Amino acid sequence: MQKINLHNALPAVFAGREPVPSQVWQCSLTMERGKHYLIVADSGTGKSSLCSYIYGYRRDYSGSIDFDGRDIGNISIAHWCELRKTSLAYLPQEMRLFPELSALENIQLKNQLTHHKSEREILDLFDTLGIPDKVNSPVARLSIGQQQRVAIIRTLCQPADFYLLDEPVSHLDAANNAIVARLFADEATRQGAAIIATSVGNHLALDYDVELKL
Amino acid sequence: MNNLLWKLLRKHISPAQLIGFSIANLVGLTIVILAVQFYRDVKPVFSDEESFIRKDYLVITRAVTGVGAMMGGTGEFDDTAIADIEAQPWCRKVGRFLNSEFSIYATVGLGNSGRAMRSQFFFESIPTDFIDVTDAQWDFNPARPEVPVIVARDYLSLYNFGFAATQGLPRISEGQVGMIPLSFTFSGNGLNEVLPGRIVGFSSRLNTVIVPEKFMRWANDRYGNGGHGHPMRLIVEVNSPGDVKIEQYMKDHHYDVAGDKAQAGKANYFLTVIVSIVIAVGIVISLLSFFVLMLSIYLLLQKNTRRLRDLLLLGYSPGQVSRPYVLMVVGINTLVLALAVILMVLARAHYLPMLEAFDLPRASVLPAVLTGLVIMTLITAGNVIAIRRKVASLWLN
Repeated sequence: MQKINLHNALPAVFAGREPVPSQVWQCSLTMERGKHYLIVADSGTGKSSLCSYIYGYRRDYSGSIDFDGRDIGNISIAHWCELRKTSLAYLPQEMRLFPELSALENIQLKNQLTHHKSEREILDLFDTLGIPDKVNSPVARLSIGQQQRVAIIRTLCQPADFYLLDEPVSHLDAANNAIVARLFADEATRQGAAIIATSVGNHLALDYDVELKL
Repeated sequence: MNNLLWKLLRKHISPAQLIGFSIANLVGLTIVILAVQFYRDVKPVFSDEESFIRKDYLVITRAVTGVGAMMGGTGEFDDTAIADIEAQPWCRKVGRFLNSEFSIYATVGLGNSGRAMRSQFFFESIPTDFIDVTDAQWDFNPARPEVPVIVARDYLSLYNFGFAATQGLPRISEGQVGMIPLSFTFSGNGLNEVLPGRIVGFSSRLNTVIVPEKFMRWANDRYGNGGHGHPMRLIVEVNSPGDVKIEQYMKDHHYDVAGDKAQAGKANYFLTVIVSIVIAVGIVISLLSFFVLMLSIYLLLQKNTRRLRDLLLLGYSPGQVSRPYVLMVVGINTLVLALAVILMVLARAHYLPMLEAFDLPRASVLPAVLTGLVIMTLITAGNVIAIRRKVASLWLN
């Protein structure tokens, strides 16, 4: 997948409201593979909605969104499943981990679909992110910051054309932010992928090609 | 199965609900297949099908009334009456009974003991195509005369309980008909000849002694006067013996339908009704248990909605996340089917000895097992479709 295009897209809940100045909603916008995008937003401006539309699990918008010219409304469920394993990597703001599974099991649940990382590489990522002792802890017992790092490792466990990161470092300090930024930048460079990161204040510390105001 | 997926999705599975469903379904299914099996095992008792006589026939006579006899009514069927019956839409074929017109004595016994039961006898014959025995068994050859007969079952009882018992002769079962020492003495036209007899079968529907038509014509020529009178009885092959039009026709023409077919038909009818009711009850129980399982699964999927959605977001397909539940349902239903078949076989082992006295052919258990399989396949298919639909409905948040 090379490009994600938005044409006049607008969340259904915003319809009929006063138009707010936005570089995403009700615009023509193209995001390309290989580039870094930062979407800066205030709360309630539809940041998570944008991610859910692009990731295909909500359709409550007007206008159109397409991947390389193919309207995403016409993509079959089977194709979406394939995209979620090979093209679109998504880190949800609420992380969506399974609290009853251990940190490693949460990651294996994704990695056994994609077989993208070896167990060694996964354990190295735990090391790099400073939580090597949490590998076998149930996620329910991890702090929110630790959970965010587990979710980040899980997002890295797949090949992708676009990394869609919804407030990826909202619960991390500057040092961890820098580590996460480097991990995603390295992975994206290796695969020629784009990074689309959203932020309400704590930006993922990357060099961005495009910064958009939502 | 994916262990991690199962570890996640087994949350909220209620063993109590599943056991409840399994027991209810086991009861329902066992009732259904046991009823089917019982029906197949017991049906031969009530249906008077005989292997050597085709089943869809009626034997009719003219009703004998006091007035008719006094008026000199012969009770015979003339050609017009026969033609009229043949013209009826329910009639396939009419056969005439031929009577023996000479004197017959049957001798049973003899052997080494020298004791014998001797009795005056009579023969009747019907056309060969109403009789289902092999040509070789039902043939008569004047060069090597031996007379094959089909005898009313009552005669066997008479021999076993009346004669053999008092004369110290062995009792004979139907399977040993060949062992009955039998000969016939025919006299007429100045002849007095003894021919050996051979019983080929017993009939509880033809209360007479039937011999091959070929023999009857030969014997009537030899000992009688050719036998060209009108028949007293007719055998009629019909499309459906229960047809009310036939009953009405017989009543209008004052014909009697002989035999216990009507009685057997009633018993058979009530057996069918009772078994149908039992099967219906079993199916209702199975259906209710099906809905219990559906409710249980819906509740389970409802409680696990969040997990299922998150798995779909990870890239699992609806089919993949349904699979643990589908396998669970298939497993439970297979187990229930296996248990129901085992229970049916055990119950059958209890009632079969009671039926031994009727000397029935062993019915196969295959139809009952297939019935169970069909019901379980339908129930499982219903469950699987519901699970798939429910999971697919979680695709959009």
